This record gives sequence, C-alpha cells and structure tokens, in this order.
Amino acid sequence: MTTATLTPTRPLVASAATPRVRALPVLTARRLALTVRSPRALLVPLLGPVMFAMVVAPALANTVSSPAGHARYMTFVSLATAGLLIPLNCLLFGLGVLVDRRSGAMRELLVAPIRRQSIVLGNLVAALAVTALQIAVLIGAAALRGATFVTSSRVLWFLAGGALLVVVMYSLAEVLSIRLGSPEEYTGSLPVFAIVPFFFAGSLYPITSLPHWLADAAKVLPLTHALALFRYGLTTQGGQALHNIWGMTNDTAMALLSLAVLAAYAVAALAGAVRLFTKTCTS
Amino acid sequence: MSTEFAVEAQSLVKTYPGGVEAVRGISFDVRRGESFGLLGPNGAGKTTTIGMLTTAVTPTSGRAVLAGRDVARDPVGSRAISSVVFQDAVVDAPLTGRQNLELHLRLWGVARSEGRRRLEELGTAVGLTDILDRAVATYSGGERRRLEIIRALLSAPQVLFLDEPTVGLDTRVRHDLFDVVTTLRERTGVTVILTTHYLDEAERLCDRLAVIDNGALVACDTPAALLASMGPEVLELRVDRADLPTRLLEEAGVPHRHTSVVGSTVVVSLASITAEEVTQALERVGVLVMSATRRRPTLDDVYLRLTGAQLRASDN
Repeated sequence: MTTATLTPTRPLVASAATPRVRALPVLTARRLALTVRSPRALLVPLLGPVMFAMVVAPALANTVSSPAGHARYMTFVSLATAGLLIPLNCLLFGLGVLVDRRSGAMRELLVAPIRRQSIVLGNLVAALAVTALQIAVLIGAAALRGATFVTSSRVLWFLAGGALLVVVMYSLAEVLSIRLGSPEEYTGSLPVFAIVPFFFAGSLYPITSLPHWLADAAKVLPLTHALALFRYGLTTQGGQALHNIWGMTNDTAMALLSLAVLAAYAVAALAGAVRLFTKTCTS
Repeated sequence: MSTEFAVEAQSLVKTYPGGVEAVRGISFDVRRGESFGLLGPNGAGKTTTIGMLTTAVTPTSGRAVLAGRDVARDPVGSRAISSVVFQDAVVDAPLTGRQNLELHLRLWGVARSEGRRRLEELGTAVGLTDILDRAVATYSGGERRRLEIIRALLSAPQVLFLDEPTVGLDTRVRHDLFDVVTTLRERTGVTVILTTHYLDEAERLCDRLAVIDNGALVACDTPAALLASMGPEVLELRVDRADLPTRLLEEAGVPHRHTSVVGSTVVVSLASITAEEVTQALERVGVLVMSATRRRPTLDDVYLRLTGAQLRASDN
C-alpha cells in the first residue's frame, strides 16, 4: 500500500450548517441513480398501466359502450390508468427506501450535516420526476391507441392533481416502509393501497354507479379527487366527475375544492411521513 | 466547554424502551489529535456511546460536545465536523466507489475541485484508485472497508469515528487497515474515536483506552498504564475445577483484586505475590494445578480483572 503525501487537514466544509436546498438535489440525484439504473427499471412499472390503456380500455369500450361513445369511454378508462400508475410507482419507490434502510447508505445520510427531512424530500422529488416521465409515456400510448385528450390551460388541473397525488402516495410509501419491517410485508400491502382504491375511485365507471354508501366512501379517497381533476384537465368530459363528487354546477369551484382536498391530504401525509422518519431514524 | 478537547462526553446515559440500560453515565474527554479507544465486548455499550456522539442515538441524559459544538443543540454543526465508519458496510452497492465518494463530498459541502483532489490523493494512499469506477457490489470486504475509511476522511473531519472497523476481516486485511488508519491519522492530524473488542487493534491504534463493561466506564488510561497495573508478569494456571470462587483464593491469601477466573483458568498478577506463593495457596485449599505459565500481561487480563469477563481473542 502506498503512503502518498497528504496535505495537512483543515476543515473543508463551507459552513457547519449545510442549507437544506443544497442537500435536496444531491439526495434526489442519489435516489434516481439507485432507482433508475437501467431502462428496465423505468419500463417495468409502466407495463400494467400501458396494457390497461392500450388493450383493456379499448376492449371495455367495445364491450360496454355504443359506437358513438367508444372513444369517449376509452379516453375515460385510459386516463384512469394514471390513477393506477401513480400509486404503484410511488409504493415501489418506498420498497427501494426500505431496502436502503436495511442494506444501503441510509446511515451515512443520517450522520451527514443535512436536515434529515431532506432525505424524505429528496426521495419524493425523485418519485415525482420518474412518475411524471411515466405518465407522459402512458398518455402518449393511450393517445396513439385512440384516446382523445384536449390541450388547454385546464391541463394545469391535471398536473396539479397528479403532483399532489404523488405526494400523498409517496408519503404513504415512506410511512409503510418505516412501519412494516420487511420487504415481504411491504410487498404484501401493495394491493391494498395501490390497487383496491382504483376500483372505487371512478376509474372504470363513475362513482354514481356504485351503491350510495360506497359512492360516499369513494368521495373520501384522494384518488377519486385526483381522477376527477385529471378528467377535468385533459378531456372533453369536463366537470362531470367533479359534479359526481360535489353536486355543484360551477366546474372551477368544484375543481378548486377537489384540489384543496388533495392538497390537505398531501400536506398531512407528507408532514406525517417526515415526522415519523425523523422520529424513528434515531433510536 | 473547552476547545482543547475534540470530544467531551458528560454523564451520557441511554436507556432503551423496556428499561434496557445500554449506557450508564459515561464521561470522558479526548484531546485534539488523540486516538481514543472504547474497548469492551459485544453489548458493552460502545456502539451506543458512539451513536450518542454522532446523533444516531438520542441520549436519555447527559451531554456530548464535538470540537465545541453541543451535539444536542447543534446536531447539523456537529455532524459537519465529524465522520463515521460504521461497523456494517454502509455504502450504496449498486453505485461505483467514486459515486459513493462524490456523494459524501457533496453532502458535506466540499468544493468540487478540492474534493476531487482529495479523492485522488486518498484513493492513491489506500490503493483503491484502480477500482473506484467499479460498482461497490464487486468489492471485497477489505476494499469496501478502505473505501469507507477514505470516504470518512474526504471532508477532512476534525473527529473520525471508527465503529469496530475491522470486524469480520481476515488478519492480513486487518493489519493493512491498521497501516491505513495510522498513516492517515499521522498525515491529517484527525482525532480518532475507535470502538473495538480486538486487543491488538486497541494496543496498536490507540493513545488511550476506555474500558467499558455493561454500559459503564471502568477504567481509562494509556494501554501501557493499564498493562502496568497488572505488574510485569502474570501467572496463568489451569486447575482441576471450573469457576473457582475467588473467595476461596482470598481465604488462601491470594488477593482478589489481582486475580481473575474464567472457567478452569486462573490468572494472577505477580505484582505483589510470587508464583510459588500462589501455587502453595491453591494446594492449601485442595485445588490441583494442571499447568502453570508465567507470561507478560495482556489487555485481556486487564479487562478480565476489571470486569470479570473475557474479550474475544483477536485473529492473532
């Protein structure tokens, strides 16, 4: 082993307290490097939703709708697959975090001169970036297959709803990765949180098709509000899904209400996740 | 608190839920540039003590200061001037060695050009330059440990914590790492806090040792002074019965504070008694001596005498 000359030590750290903003891009880049090491890592979570959009949605449209309503129903279902992709993707991110805690460099992050909340936020930003890319691919695939989307300033409702849903679902993933000790337990919980709500949130049929009490329960789900915002933002169906929730006539007012509900869920979920993380990262 | 000291621990206590007292009032000071060891068996409280100094563990009570920064009041500041090499490998195995090191540089806010220079310097010093661009998953245990050591030194910390740095490594690799730590310490002047249950590691790397048993600090001195407390020689006896009560030896005239018993092995310090007196005392109380060896004392003997327990033997 060589003993090359080393310059004498002097502290190289710019300041004792590293600002939060400096840690966030570093942690986001780390999480992206760990999660997206190959195209396969990006594509595998997409397979199910893309198949749903390109195969199942047209097949359902052929089966259940009239020729006049074919494209409309296909668009209805295709867009709903975003409501399947976002929870699945976020919860898979949480699995990576759980593995990180057990065998990765998480402990190195905990002794770094950063605010520990940054670790959760860095993972969240990475989840947002990857999910956004996958949603774009999904929408593109659905459009190629024949779904019709509109582009107007209303797309901002879609973007805001999608971003807030990612925050909710990733925060849930973070909590589950702390509370559930093993990858096996965590994986077992995925259907409950990622798949079951999909069938109650107005994905394949409006919530008004459900029994009254189930429809009321569906209105509590963040996914229901997110899907309503997706449809308001990207389709010609406008505020019908929002109307099924709120029963009002002013589309913008209903959209604001759903956005507020989602935002409240996002703030509460993220605050809870950060608090649980910072509390449990030290023993 | 004084800035003469790199580390100041005052009455640190850690009680886990369920009432488990992992650390019971440990206090010590470490001067800047010193290499300080925490010696004790598994479960003695060494890692918990390090955890409290590095903000990984919240103390139940007590105070810790690193280079003038109170760990509880300024955790980010105290982390900024310290680094840790953990007992288990704590690296992102899918990433390359270089990526792991660059992550550390960025998190500790090291300027890019300076960080690159130190990375190349340290990589050359420990012989890792050729493999830095390989995924860490392909590294051997010794290579991973060297990577972690240079990672910890990249930000030029004032205090370096090494938590059982050579556990699980083979003898040759362990001795290579001794050289690495010694060389890097000499060149950079960093204060080192080392936990270990390996005697050779403690003797070789530490200026001073704190002996920890059952969460409490039972002795703190240089290795030479601790060994000197046992006298120039000890007598190691194998007798015909296990766990000979020291009360029996006391009755026979062998002072308890100079004696330790593990199984059928009795070790007696010859600081104030002769070998002949010991063997005669044992015969008087009807104990048959199977073998007797005079030898120099080891830290194991010191630990045994202080705590009544035995450290695991080193690979040597």
